[in-house]
Order: sequence, then C-alpha cells, then structure tokens
Amino acid sequence: MAILIHENTRVLVQGITGRVGSFQTKVMQEYGTNIVAGVTPGKGGIMVDGIPVYDFVEEALSEHEADVALSFVPARFAKDAAIEAIDNGVHFVVLTAEGIPDQDVLTVLNYAAIKGIKVLGPDTPGLVSPGKCKVGVHPDRVLKEGHVGLVSKSGALSYEVCKLLTEHGIGQSTIVGIGGGPLWGLTQREVLEMFGEDSDTKVVVMLGEVGGTMEHEAAAFIKKDMTKPVISLIVGRTAPKGARMGHAGAIIEGEGETAASKIRALKKAGSLVAKDPAEILSFIKRLEVGVR
Amino acid sequence: MRLLEFQAKRIFSEHGIPVPKNVLLESSTDLENLLYPVMLKAQVPVGGRGKAGAIKPVTDANEAAAVLDELLNTRIRGNPVRVVLAEEKVEVQKELYLALLIDKLARLPVIMASDAGGIDIEQVARERPAQIVKKYIDPSVGLSNYTVHYLAKRIGVEGHLRDFANLAHSLFDIFRSYDGALVEINPLAVIANGLLALDAKIVLDDKAAYRHGDLFGRLKAEQTRSRKDGRSRTEQLAEGKGITYVSLNGNVGMISDGAGTGMLTLDLIQDAGGRAANFCELGGFGGKESMQQALEVVLANPRVKVLLISLIGGLTRMDEVADGIVAYLKRHEVFVPLVVRMCGTQEEAGRARLQTVGIEALDDLPTAICTTVDTVKGS
Repeated sequence: MAILIHENTRVLVQGITGRVGSFQTKVMQEYGTNIVAGVTPGKGGIMVDGIPVYDFVEEALSEHEADVALSFVPARFAKDAAIEAIDNGVHFVVLTAEGIPDQDVLTVLNYAAIKGIKVLGPDTPGLVSPGKCKVGVHPDRVLKEGHVGLVSKSGALSYEVCKLLTEHGIGQSTIVGIGGGPLWGLTQREVLEMFGEDSDTKVVVMLGEVGGTMEHEAAAFIKKDMTKPVISLIVGRTAPKGARMGHAGAIIEGEGETAASKIRALKKAGSLVAKDPAEILSFIKRLEVGVR
Repeated sequence: MRLLEFQAKRIFSEHGIPVPKNVLLESSTDLENLLYPVMLKAQVPVGGRGKAGAIKPVTDANEAAAVLDELLNTRIRGNPVRVVLAEEKVEVQKELYLALLIDKLARLPVIMASDAGGIDIEQVARERPAQIVKKYIDPSVGLSNYTVHYLAKRIGVEGHLRDFANLAHSLFDIFRSYDGALVEINPLAVIANGLLALDAKIVLDDKAAYRHGDLFGRLKAEQTRSRKDGRSRTEQLAEGKGITYVSLNGNVGMISDGAGTGMLTLDLIQDAGGRAANFCELGGFGGKESMQQALEVVLANPRVKVLLISLIGGLTRMDEVADGIVAYLKRHEVFVPLVVRMCGTQEEAGRARLQTVGIEALDDLPTAICTTVDTVKGS
C-alpha cells in the first residue's frame, strides 16, 4: 500500500507553466508519476511535455480525472488556486509555496476542512512513495522502495535521512513533508496515524525541529495509540533561544518549543530519539523489524 | 514585524480604541509643555518593559529631564533607546488583558481576555490558565457579538459593555485588515469613565507585506529612525535580502539550502567540536542570486575562518546555486577555505560548474563536517 498516494494516483499540476512547475513536472514524469493535466490561467490550450494545459481546474476535470492537485503557484496567488481546487472537489491538495500570508493559509485550511478535503503544506516538498509515485520535488537518487515511513517538517532534512538509509540498503514506504509551518494542513500526528494503519510501513521516522509545539501532540499520540516503533530526530538542539531559524515555525519562544522539551516528551512517550541521521540508521538496524 | 508602542497606539487611535494622551520625545527640549505627572516609556521592541526598567513615572520637568537622559543612554535587554513616549498618568481601577492571535494547532484566530491583566500575565497563563478566557473565531464568520458579551461577563466589564464591544471589534478589524499575527492590549485599564489601552502591541505578518502598498516599509523606516540598531553589521546587511541570517558566536560560517538541514548542520558542527559563526539559509526557492547574497553576508563577518556550504536540493537546483558560487568567486577574492557538500536535483551539472573554479564538492554531510572542523582547528 503506502499512504495517501499509490501507483495509479492521477495528478493535476497547478502552475504547470512556471519555471519551477514545468521543470518539476518533467522530473516527476520521468519518475513515473501519472500527471494527467495542468492548469495555468491564461495558458489554456498549450502542452507542457505532452501534458495538456487548461485555464481553469473545472475545464481540466471535464476532460480528466485527478486524485491530487499539486500546486506550484507562487505565494501571493496560492490561496486562490487552492480554493479553486477545493471548489472543484479535488480530494487532496498539496501546496508547495513558501511565504503565503498566515491569514490566507487559515482561509484555505478552514475551507478545506468544511469541504472534507485534505491539505498537505504549505511550504511542503510534497510526498513520494518510492518506486510507485512522486507528488513532489524529492531528488530521485536518495529514494528506494521499502518499509520505513518518514514524516518531516523540513524537506531537505528528509532527503538527508533518506540518502543515508538508501545508501545502506534501507528503503522507504512513503516520505511525507508536512511543511515548515507555522501553519499546517496534515500534521505529524495525522501522518503517524496513517503509517500506523499502513501494511507497507514497519517503522516510522519523525523529523522535527525547534519551534512550535506540534511534536508534543505527536508524542501524546505515540504514547497512547501508536502501534509501530517511532524513531524521532529533533534538529536545532544548539539553536539559541529567541532566534528565528529559517522556517517561520522554527522560532523558539516558550518552553514547549525547545528541542530539549520535545526530546524529553518523545522519549517519555516511548519513541527512540536519535541525535543525528547516523543514529537513526543504527536504531533501524537494531530494531530488526524486517525493513531491509 | 513587531511595531513599537507609539506606532501601535497610533493605529489604535485611528480605529477608535482609546489610548492615554501622549507625545513622542527625542530630547529634553520636548519636555517643556507637558502636564505632570507623566509616565516615560522607552520605545524598544521587547516584552516586560516594566520589569526591565523601561517605564518610569515622573512628577516634574526636572525629574523628567534626568530620567529621559538616563533612558536615552541605557540599553533595555540589549536594545538601545532613541525615542521615549511621554504619556499622561491615569487613575487605574483595574487592569485587564485582551489579545487576538492565531492558534497554530487549532488553525484558527483566537481572542483571549482576562481580568488579571498587567505585568504578570505570563505567570497567570502558567499557574492559573483558567483565568484567561479563550474563544476561537471562524475566519468566515468573524467575531460575533455573543462572543464579545460572553468575554465581557467573564472578565467583569459588563458595566462598560458598549466600550468593550467597540474596542474588541476594532481590535479584530485591525487584526484582519493589517494582516496581524498578534494584536494585544496589556494592560487594558478600567478607569472612572470607561476603558483605556495603556499599552499596545501589534505584530504584523511579514509575508503579507506585498498587499499593503508601502505601509510595512514606512513603519519599518520609522522604526530604524527612532531606534538605534542593536543588530550586528552582517544582520543589517542581510535585511531585505531573500535569505535568513542569524549571527552566532563561533568561527565556522554556514550556508544551507533549507532550514531543517541548516539546523542539523549546526548541531553536527557543535557535536564535532566546532562553533558556528552564523545560521544562513536560502529558502525553498534558492537560486543563483540568493546564493551570491548569502556569500556576501556570511563572508562579511571577520570572525569566519572557514565556510561550509551544505546543499541537498529538491526544489533548489544544484546547477543554479553552483552558478551563484562561481559568479561570486569570479568577482570577489575569498580568503577563507570553502567546503561544499552538494547533492540532489541537477547535482551533476552543479558539480561540473564548481570544478571550473577548482572546487570538488563532497557528497557526504558527516565528511564535510569533519573536513570543515579539522580545517578550522588546523588554522
């Protein structure tokens, strides 16, 4: 199985004609993702790498069926594009844009919740089930099909860990980037729950960081309801208090937002907590849950 | 961006929220026409100013001159003071708390009110959380009247219901129309004939600056005029560029193409016995331009003895950031060793371009960390 996407997932790309959208569409196609159509307002009628482009989502969906809308639309137009995908009943919306105003993100997330639609992001690299489907921008060489599920706030940090696992012959079931925050559609806890129910996933790696308090919610879930081993890594152990370290989410303010408090909570909840990617690898080897 | 008190109070006044009569002071010549007693309040962007000695009552012009001089020559939690707000002193019956912000886990705006306002509100939040009343606001519904009435009852201001309702709705208007991340009144004073915002805090969402014309820029410019800059030279240089830069105390310069890997890299540098000089990341859309900016900022710090560039690209293309490194090296002489770790999207093209300027990019992050820390220890 894998979670959220599978071999036959049909993808609609919003912002397909832009510099990033057109490049990443080509990379995803080469990976084997089934991209059915693209949308860019004003560009309807052209083709991008053999994919038909429409002005509106509605027009695209009158010709094609799509399970996911992957948006490369820039931040200031991202809200509108997401609302359009939701209005047209696409069940799963992936928002890659970084820097969408918080109040726009709130509007999108609350509207999606009312309509029963899942949102991944914003500021997400997307997600990939190696060997099956990639709805995102993960570099191919770090990926290998297997049984470790990953959920990460940071895209690049998940590539870093996957690279190490892949180099040691350990594959991944699905890699989900939930985004840098400070607001999230799917959360760590929700993704952990999906991995818990996924027959392909034997062990879960959760990559978190300083800032926000989301890891505490995940820790509570691990303690009460998680059925599989969870290995966590919280980066920013050495970050100074009060500093804004890139992701809007990674600002350390309250006590619950420090790396130390998250590490404590996760250990208490029964998660293995690694200090760096190398230790994640040694924990996985030690678990002997048949991930190789 | 966090506004200074006088800026936030100006916005409050424009929206009908009552604030004490006030005047901005830059030197002692501004003291002559004041009606004493007044409060002198240093304009610095930090919380807990009362406890930090930034707010002082004065009873006459002589005392005011001495206190003003003292405030203008001190630092409040590291922040130098250039402007002081003089404000009429009012008879306060009770101090309340009122704030609007986004609850990140609930994904909703939340309005919070308490009858225990004032300088100990954080302690109240920790020790008696029930004394702070919270109500979520659906963004598509807005702030409903019943919510305002409920809060008024819970914090005991039913006697000033109309004033409180006007004030709460104005606060919500400000939160919405200015793209507020936080709008807070603490304390909100109950006085003989109504309510008065004794302090004002507004934090704006920088990501929304583009849709407010030049407003955010003007507020920022006003701040830099009215506040001596307490930041390092490199932090000032990074301002306005599309990169994130934080000064640290060590001598290992660091540039990454993501926040998460940047923080991991800092952790690993420290674990290996090195000390980072900075945190610097390009963000998801990093390219040639932002790499050149990052190099300019990081290398402007004279403490940097070695520079580690830690790249693993998904959205970021390695050929584009390599172009940035090459372009920078062609125009500038760099006197510190560079260690580049590069992998991910378009890495072959990126490596080839780095080879044209004699850089062999490493593939493995732990190896790059070891090389970097060994270099700085050897130098």
